[in-house]
Amino acid sequence: MTALLRYQTALLLRSQRWLPPVILYAVFLGVGVQSGQPVLDSLGYTAAGLLPVAAWLVRICVTGEPPAARACVVAARGPARAHLAALLTALFAAVVLGTAATLLVTVISQHATNDHRLPVPALRAGAAGLLATLACALLGSAVGALTNRPLLRSPGRAVPAMLLAALLSTVAAGSPAQAAVSGLVTGSESGRIPVSPLPVAAAVLLATAAFAVACALNGRRSP
Amino acid sequence: MHRDLELVRVGRRYGIRGPWVLRGVDLTITPGSLTRVEGANGTGKSTLLRLVAGIDTPTEGRITGRPRTAYVPERFPSALPFTPVGYLTHLGTVHGLSRRTAAARAADWLERFGAGAYAATPMAHLSKGTSQKVAVAQALLADPELLVLDEAWTGLDAEARAELERAVAERTAAGGAVVFVDHDPRRLAGVPDATHQVVDGTLRPRTGQVAAPVGPHTVVIVQGPAGGRLPADATRTAASAEEPAPGTYRLTVPVSHSDVVLRALLTARPPWHVVTVSAPDVPPDEKDRP
Repeated sequence: MTALLRYQTALLLRSQRWLPPVILYAVFLGVGVQSGQPVLDSLGYTAAGLLPVAAWLVRICVTGEPPAARACVVAARGPARAHLAALLTALFAAVVLGTAATLLVTVISQHATNDHRLPVPALRAGAAGLLATLACALLGSAVGALTNRPLLRSPGRAVPAMLLAALLSTVAAGSPAQAAVSGLVTGSESGRIPVSPLPVAAAVLLATAAFAVACALNGRRSP
Repeated sequence: MHRDLELVRVGRRYGIRGPWVLRGVDLTITPGSLTRVEGANGTGKSTLLRLVAGIDTPTEGRITGRPRTAYVPERFPSALPFTPVGYLTHLGTVHGLSRRTAAARAADWLERFGAGAYAATPMAHLSKGTSQKVAVAQALLADPELLVLDEAWTGLDAEARAELERAVAERTAAGGAVVFVDHDPRRLAGVPDATHQVVDGTLRPRTGQVAAPVGPHTVVIVQGPAGGRLPADATRTAASAEEPAPGTYRLTVPVSHSDVVLRALLTARPPWHVVTVSAPDVPPDEKDRP
């Protein structure tokens, strides 16, 4: 598995297809986050923006390899493991990106509530931000896994489905990502920092299920 | 490969209500065997090979005894962001080699196929033939127990085609199984242990072997210890063996397998003496005629 992950990571980094989502994320943060704004609010924004980026990274990883090269790897390691390596690589890339953004935002923001009255400790805010980021990265990967190859193969269906699902899982009540993000946003009003592991746990379960479905179907559907 | 790869009543269709591409396929691949699959275009040869290689999962039926497998596609993309040696090192580790061994073998196999000069050229700049050499090297570098070749010879130059035939001979001699499809009927002619035909979406052993084409042969004359018997590997591979004088044998061997036979003879205990290696005076298929 280590060899597969290393191969997929090299493919992702060298292909430079990671550039558009990363640049878009940077622009999104540049527009929405400014230094001196309340920290929890900005962290909520940072986490929510990562969800579609994580889904996009999954799309890059599962469609980036030319089919013939993929066939060689699948023959060596089996369809499920080859697909899992691509999904995990994308998830890992999203987590790294989200962590970097969260740390940066935590440092540059004002450590206070929206009305500047109550202080918000940087360490606890950063921890809450990381948990929300993790939940969004996991849920975004789950969305990407279920809306791309092998489930949806034509880009005409996969891309709109992916964008719609990413939007819904960011805003729909009941989604772990929405819970994590709204926890940060309301915390920025009230001064109560949400460090609950529940949204992350739910996102882990959803991502595991989505990855399992995608890996099991790889090799069964047409190439 | 210690046990057989078995396909039992295997069927495959694309899509839930799609037509069956293959159905009711029974096939056993034994270690050390060479299997040829034939069939017209679009009959499902490639689908069968993808099932044998484990790339696709059968829609019905089952496949048991999966060995360490390597696959060579017909057309290999050069749209990979690596150099050949970098790609092969990655694939070697995916096949289970250590990084160091993978890198060393990558260089060796590229050299063997005459692509050593391109080892550090970005793959996007490679010609179609050189890309195909990388695909072949990818499959051979980890000594797979099962090698699946889907028209792997297409696009290779003459030397590389002959080298791939020799590599196939080495693989089967080392106990690995090889399954291949090729449009050239002279490809490894006379060597396969089994030939199957894909007809009407199912697999049949080829019958009516009237005019199996005979490929080029090499004649090897060897002397052994008094009363010695030819090593089993040599007898199995040779097309014919005569004993013109006691202890001296005249072996007719497919050219792709001459190295394998010589290796078997020279590494036998006690070793055999190779007297001559030459092209046959009369093509064996003509000589056999009355």
